[in-house]
Amino acid sequence: MKPELVCFWIAVGLYGVSTFSYIFGLIAKYDKLFLVGLLSALVGFIPHTASIALRWMAGGVEPFITISESLTFGIFVTILIFLIVQFTVKRVQLLGVLVMPISFVLLGWAGTLMKEVASSIAPALQSYWLWVHIVGAAVGFASVLIAAALGLMYLLKERNSGGIYDRLPELGAVDRLSYRFVAAGFIMYGLMIISGAYWSNSVKGNYWAWDPVEVWSLISWLMYGIYLHLRVTFGWRGSRLAWYSLIALVVMIVSYWGIPFGVETFHSGFRIEH
Amino acid sequence: MFLLVAILACCVTGVTVFREKRAWDLIFSTLWFNGLLVLLVINVACCFFGRIWHRKLTTISFGMILFHLSFVAMFGAIVYDSLFFFEGSMRLTEGETLVNSSLESYDTVRQGRFFKFSQLKGETTLVKMHTGYRVDGDDKRAAYEVEVGEPGAKKKSIVYIGHNLDYNGFKYLPEKEGYSTAVYLYDKGGANLYGAHVPLQSYRQKDKSFMYSTGEKESPGVFPFPQGAADPLFYLQVVYRPSPVTERGGEAYFQVWPYGKADTMPGDKPLASGKGAIGEKVAAGDYSLSVNEIRYWVGMNIRHNPAKPVILGSLWVGLAGMIITTFGRMKQGGRAGKGA
Repeated sequence: MKPELVCFWIAVGLYGVSTFSYIFGLIAKYDKLFLVGLLSALVGFIPHTASIALRWMAGGVEPFITISESLTFGIFVTILIFLIVQFTVKRVQLLGVLVMPISFVLLGWAGTLMKEVASSIAPALQSYWLWVHIVGAAVGFASVLIAAALGLMYLLKERNSGGIYDRLPELGAVDRLSYRFVAAGFIMYGLMIISGAYWSNSVKGNYWAWDPVEVWSLISWLMYGIYLHLRVTFGWRGSRLAWYSLIALVVMIVSYWGIPFGVETFHSGFRIEH
Repeated sequence: MFLLVAILACCVTGVTVFREKRAWDLIFSTLWFNGLLVLLVINVACCFFGRIWHRKLTTISFGMILFHLSFVAMFGAIVYDSLFFFEGSMRLTEGETLVNSSLESYDTVRQGRFFKFSQLKGETTLVKMHTGYRVDGDDKRAAYEVEVGEPGAKKKSIVYIGHNLDYNGFKYLPEKEGYSTAVYLYDKGGANLYGAHVPLQSYRQKDKSFMYSTGEKESPGVFPFPQGAADPLFYLQVVYRPSPVTERGGEAYFQVWPYGKADTMPGDKPLASGKGAIGEKVAAGDYSLSVNEIRYWVGMNIRHNPAKPVILGSLWVGLAGMIITTFGRMKQGGRAGKGA
């Protein structure tokens, strides 16, 4: 097995350990398991980074072209931001209960879709917009996933008390933090759509083509636009927005990876042949 | 909110139930759907600006004004663009020149209600198609050397994916390319009777290689030969196999069927068939055929979107508005936290 794949599957395994630690920690209300989950995620992040770097070095092509590469990079950014939040914001261990299972499942799925390293990049993808587009998408996804995890944390704390729940931040603080992550995700997702429009304009001469991926991206962006309006204009707070962030996350995952996987779109690869 | 939900529902239906051209025809290009978009913009403008009017200008409200203004400007520009745009698909063989203002020069054309063909000036020439074209070490695969403009004052440029030619507000974008064979017809004595360039289509095979043949977009086929003659001699299919070594070299395969029998098509036994290298004659009944030259044809999209700079610029203004509002709210939240 290639070193890149060894690193990749070690990362998947460690994220799996992290996932089960978080889930059992929640069920058993035993927060030492959260520490095991966090450490497994931290250690797993090292081979995850190495697998991306090795793939990049092997082909010399940016490793986020195919769906599996896009998933791998998206989860890489998610785990990175998750770890930053864990080490900078106090008492948010419960975040891993949603972030790690989703990361584990999506990364495992990426492993089943993995193809040989590409040695050249299609002319349509030879653009700096690719970087802006992918980074915007990955950071946007990571932000709304963490916002949804904070929403879950809010709902758990609201319905339970004692033990680990008493050690979580105040409900208001969780609600505010979730809102900030949604706002960040909204901006980054907006950046992704704008860069995509500019990129498409330079390659195809149009900024919008009603492609399924474009439309689903717009839908998920508008979902978060509605979230912000519900909060700012209509004064929604707390559990209603927490539920909303969890539902919006599903739409985001469908639009981000489900649509390009299931439907033939130009996001499945530019096919300009003769 | 109702309008937004209705538009979202239309979008989901368009990309899941109908898809692609059908979705475009039934939803995205229709007057009622675009009417919904216009209503949404008017609604946003009235609700937002009605609420914010006479309020004190703060960082947050400034950001929100920027965002909503960009939204209104973008949709206004989209409406303007839909009235004045032009989109045409032009196909040229190397050495060929077409007049830009002539409708016959385009395979397909779409234009806004107020677009005037007189805006299309001059003519377009495909000088050469370059394969394996490289820019700073990057393989651009195909690049078209194109001349556009009035005779004597033409603008020349290389067009490849990501690098377009802009002439008089009209953008020339690469779309697709293919082979064109110069097919010649000879009588028994070897005298040349007819010759014409015949563009070939490409068809992906199961082994992922390509077959280059005459035919329609979806499948190989025949055409009456000589083309445009009152009484063609036969139906002809030409297949070209490029040489892996020599650029524009290789072999041509011919198959002919009697003309006039509509039910005798590929699948039935041909009247004659054969193959030969480029320039070599192949017997076809009482005649002989040859492919004397291989050229490339290219398909280009020609676009004119007068309001596009406003649309694209509005996107950045909108993003700036989002960022300013978010920072304003974070600052406000921070102050409120400290106050508490």
